[in-house]
Amino acid sequence: MVLELQKPRPIWQIMFSTHHTDVGLLYLIMSLGFLFLGGALALAIRAELFLPGAQIIGDAMTFNRIFTVHGTTLIFLFIIPFASAVGNYFVPIMVRYKDMAYPKLNAIAFWMIPPAGALIWLGFADFTWYATPPYSIISAPGPAADMWIFGLKILGISSVLGAINFVVTILKCKHPDMSIGQVPLLAWSFLSSSLIILVAIPTFAAALLMLLTDRLGVSGFFNPAMGGDPIAYAHLFWFTFHPEVYVLVIPAIGMMYEIIPRFSRRPIYSYGSGVFAFVLLAIVGFSSWAHHMYATGMSFTEKTVFMVGTLAAVPASAMHVFNFIATMWNGRIRFSTPMMWAVGGIALFFSAGAGGVVNSAMPLDFTTHDTYWVVGHFHLFVMGTIAFGSIGYLYYMFPYVTGRMYNEAMGKIHFILSFVGTVLVFFTQHVLGLYGMPRRIFDYPPIPEWIAMNQIASIGAMIIGVSMAIFLANMIYSSGRGEPANTDDPFGVGGKYYYPFEAKNPSH
Amino acid sequence: MKGLFGLSLTLVALMITIPAAGMVFAETDEPGEYLDRRVLIWNLFFRMMTVAFTVGAVVSGTIIWQIWRFRESHPKAKPTPYEGTDW
Repeated sequence: MVLELQKPRPIWQIMFSTHHTDVGLLYLIMSLGFLFLGGALALAIRAELFLPGAQIIGDAMTFNRIFTVHGTTLIFLFIIPFASAVGNYFVPIMVRYKDMAYPKLNAIAFWMIPPAGALIWLGFADFTWYATPPYSIISAPGPAADMWIFGLKILGISSVLGAINFVVTILKCKHPDMSIGQVPLLAWSFLSSSLIILVAIPTFAAALLMLLTDRLGVSGFFNPAMGGDPIAYAHLFWFTFHPEVYVLVIPAIGMMYEIIPRFSRRPIYSYGSGVFAFVLLAIVGFSSWAHHMYATGMSFTEKTVFMVGTLAAVPASAMHVFNFIATMWNGRIRFSTPMMWAVGGIALFFSAGAGGVVNSAMPLDFTTHDTYWVVGHFHLFVMGTIAFGSIGYLYYMFPYVTGRMYNEAMGKIHFILSFVGTVLVFFTQHVLGLYGMPRRIFDYPPIPEWIAMNQIASIGAMIIGVSMAIFLANMIYSSGRGEPANTDDPFGVGGKYYYPFEAKNPSH
Repeated sequence: MKGLFGLSLTLVALMITIPAAGMVFAETDEPGEYLDRRVLIWNLFFRMMTVAFTVGAVVSGTIIWQIWRFRESHPKAKPTPYEGTDW
């Protein structure tokens, strides 16, 4: 790809470049920076919950601020920009085009993110990543809440610009000899997730504006004191953010579709079912938003509709899992670091999905609603599937970006520690939820089972923290001093790779 | 292999759909029936977890077996038909 470390350029040339690999590199570095920032907040949360009573965080308000920024950072400033990094690097190459369709728009979409991140971090709002009304309207503290709203607004615009670029690049700029049925599955994943963004984000954009005007006192859309309804916000929010779950997970699955055939030394078992499952997920993602709201007094019929709509995602997800299993079958699998992450991600994807089926069943949802079960479930998705797929792909693209190989042993240690830590934290949180521990609490009563399970979860988080320190050291050291990579076949498994650095267009 | 794939998918779909349909029609409006919802809900939870763990065990077991059997260092590992080609 860029091979900047072998042929260095002044940093401003990269920063003000509109070439897709340069913008991809900027996305990559920024998203990893936010991964470590958001992860540090997670460690603070787990350290606080290691024992009942105040531990390292002084008060509940600060705790609320920390988990709000933790969630906002890792979803909006790590996962989505990381996917954009991968998409920027690989989508133009995969569709055999010189760049993204709108290079300048692409660079603008990236440069909207740092100020948005600054607004979120400098404000440090306290009303959860859901911006819970009416609290967020009536009494959430001053500039922090407004800065969060503006930050999210900017991120939304950036996502829409990026999505337009991906859709146009894939559909209109692909090589004339390439039919849509020949577009690689990773590019299909970006097409599906981009279409979801284009349909879903405007709703939340409207909700954010209404939230802001409610805060300013000029409207009362979600303010019960002015005749508004906070449940309306819940509908608008989840109409965007349940599909957004698929925006996060679909590119990660697309990344696994690159890694698993490569290291199994076999083509993907069923390209058609992969495409079908992506498109199906993109559609059914819009039929399930209200399963987040069973406890809001919906009618039995409404709940049933959304329960069935949610379960419709299960066959599509299962198709991906079976596709991966069938691809590995009869392969000659090399378990290099990217493959370990991808296979670990599949296993945890299935576990997270099984928990999701329980969530979607309305009687059970009442039992687990707002408990640590929910925290365990979505973190198992976000960390166990999305982050695992993403980190695996980062190792996979590392030789293309730097021209060097990462340290394989450190990569494997990183995976093993992360896998163990993830299981310890998030499986335990499921059980903790069944014991009735509510989410988003700063302190808890000294119930022996709660204490024991919180301690297991906190130890798991520390293990993940150690693994991430190893990861950081590996990335920094190997970028500068790693073994030079054989960029024709860095993993020694053969087959056809995509070489973004060969496609570099000097005219940009 | 494709038949096995289709059969597995159908089985998974049935294992998920049947309990879901049961839940949908579990509630009744007929008077005179008194339900201990807590017992019912936990009963449903355990049934669904039985399904989830069974499917999970089969899928996870398959993945673990694949990792062991199809690793390149396995004594019976042989090159795939695609190796050496530009697939």
